[in-house]
Amino acid sequence: MTVTFNEADLVAVSVGGVIAHPGFPALPAEPYRLAADGTPFLLPAWGGIVYNISVGDRAFGWAADCIHPGISIRGTDDLRNRGLNVYACVGNTATVMTGQAQGARGVVTGKSGRFSEQVIVHFPVEIRKKMAVGDQIVVRSVGTGMAIDGHPEVNCKGLSPALFKALPKRSENGVLKIGVVGVLPAHLVGAGAGLTSEGGSLHMQSTDRAALKEAGLDALRLGDLIAIEDTDSRYNHGYLRGALAIGVVGQTDGPRAGYGPGLTVVLTAPKGELGYFIDPAANLAALLALEA
Amino acid sequence: MLSLLDGLTSNADTLVAMAVCGYVSQPSLRPGHYTHYPDGKGVILPGMFGVVYNAKVGDRAFGWAGDHVEPGVSIAHPDEKSDFALHYLTCIGDEATVMTGLAKGATGVVTGEHARILVDFPDEVNDLLNIGDQIQIKALGRGIALNEFPQVEFKKTSPKLLEALRITRLGNGALHVPVAMELPIEIMGSGAELNSEFVDQDLMSGDRKLMADLGVDQMRLGDIIGIRHADHHFGRSYRKGAVSIGICIHGDSIMTGHGPGIMTLMTCAGGGIEFDVEPGANISNYFRIGALK
Repeated sequence: MTVTFNEADLVAVSVGGVIAHPGFPALPAEPYRLAADGTPFLLPAWGGIVYNISVGDRAFGWAADCIHPGISIRGTDDLRNRGLNVYACVGNTATVMTGQAQGARGVVTGKSGRFSEQVIVHFPVEIRKKMAVGDQIVVRSVGTGMAIDGHPEVNCKGLSPALFKALPKRSENGVLKIGVVGVLPAHLVGAGAGLTSEGGSLHMQSTDRAALKEAGLDALRLGDLIAIEDTDSRYNHGYLRGALAIGVVGQTDGPRAGYGPGLTVVLTAPKGELGYFIDPAANLAALLALEA
Repeated sequence: MLSLLDGLTSNADTLVAMAVCGYVSQPSLRPGHYTHYPDGKGVILPGMFGVVYNAKVGDRAFGWAGDHVEPGVSIAHPDEKSDFALHYLTCIGDEATVMTGLAKGATGVVTGEHARILVDFPDEVNDLLNIGDQIQIKALGRGIALNEFPQVEFKKTSPKLLEALRITRLGNGALHVPVAMELPIEIMGSGAELNSEFVDQDLMSGDRKLMADLGVDQMRLGDIIGIRHADHHFGRSYRKGAVSIGICIHGDSIMTGHGPGIMTLMTCAGGGIEFDVEPGANISNYFRIGALK
């Protein structure tokens, strides 16, 4: 049975940003950040145009800190950036408005949270080569306000109609079940707990590699769908037994404490109204037919 | 060298005491800025900033008609860099002195670090404090260590607090600390995104039945708290076998992912710290300040 939603009522609005430049703290600050064990590191981090990491690639093992695959965009000031970060939905179409890649089409694949607050957009590698930092991108945002018929307790967060339609899912005994690659136990929830669930991201803990392996999460790929156990993401992300959130792996792992791969949460419900089943193929690259 | 119980000694005689200051803060609100319950209901609640006259260390952390209640006096410095110095150098147990206004010369004790530094003064001093009064702190404790336990890192622990914590050495060689309560790692929430030298990490109190079942809702402001599998050396990691000791510095919250604030005092990645629950492990009791004095 097809799961339907209020598609005809959703409003599509333009939200824009420019390709963000990577940033480091000014002098005399050290350029290093600290790994969880205190080791200083200097590695590429979020923002910019990333040429060799895309949705579908591995989330772990890069010499990097929370890299955004593809390109990262920001609004021109904090308030406009909030508008971009909240309204842009995973699966929305983005169009390059300026520069040598003008007219090219991409797809929103994730968002980042506090201290970063960028929207992550996939473009084919050949398009990325033509892009410049500062190029303007407009996202045709649609999805905010989505309500799923027959599942009033399931909240959609930054989820586009296109992705919802493509998600592996079934409705069983009133529970909406989503196909996911893996399940994050509550004790491995890291940075993002207590922060807004309208935009932003929720990172997994990755310092304890044995715990990660035990949870079967050490081979995740960017774009994988993940269930987050005992997590209520209706208004902020937080612990609640029986609640569930579904997220997409939006960013790579990093060495800092609390900053394993970042998840962009797209669905949540507080009391068992949302469920999951394991589907090893549940990845955005295939679901949204992202062009390499 | 400060001698403690069981032959433990610290490097307290090497620490530098330095003045930092803040000013009594004024509550601020943004237009239309509701705080939301987990179901989305929006409310306006007091608790942060200013002088909180009727919630002190030793009082309950739960059950206030408030949010993130900061006991006593909340002070901040208007210059960002000076404010970070106030945050990074001030330790729990440090002495604070009122430098201006009607309460000039009165002394109090630092009890926590939230978005502002929290100081306990007697009621009669609180009554005389003006918004903007200068409070100076004799910051002492940054760099403190036990000579016998170099692998245990202390944060924001003054020599006065180190002496008061009733730290002992167990027969198995571990460091032992009495705590008022243990918290499970899976409910540690907001603050995971910050470095662990800055402010606290809220426990997530949204599962109200769990709070009652575990007795977490009996927590008091100023309680010493133990958390297993928490490595707080450089940020806040899940690490099996690690142990961190913290202190409850502010009250409960209605917001998802929030709750009473637990500020790190001690951490050991390898599990060199052990703790047991002992009633009365609270700085109100230890320092004879606030509700239990």
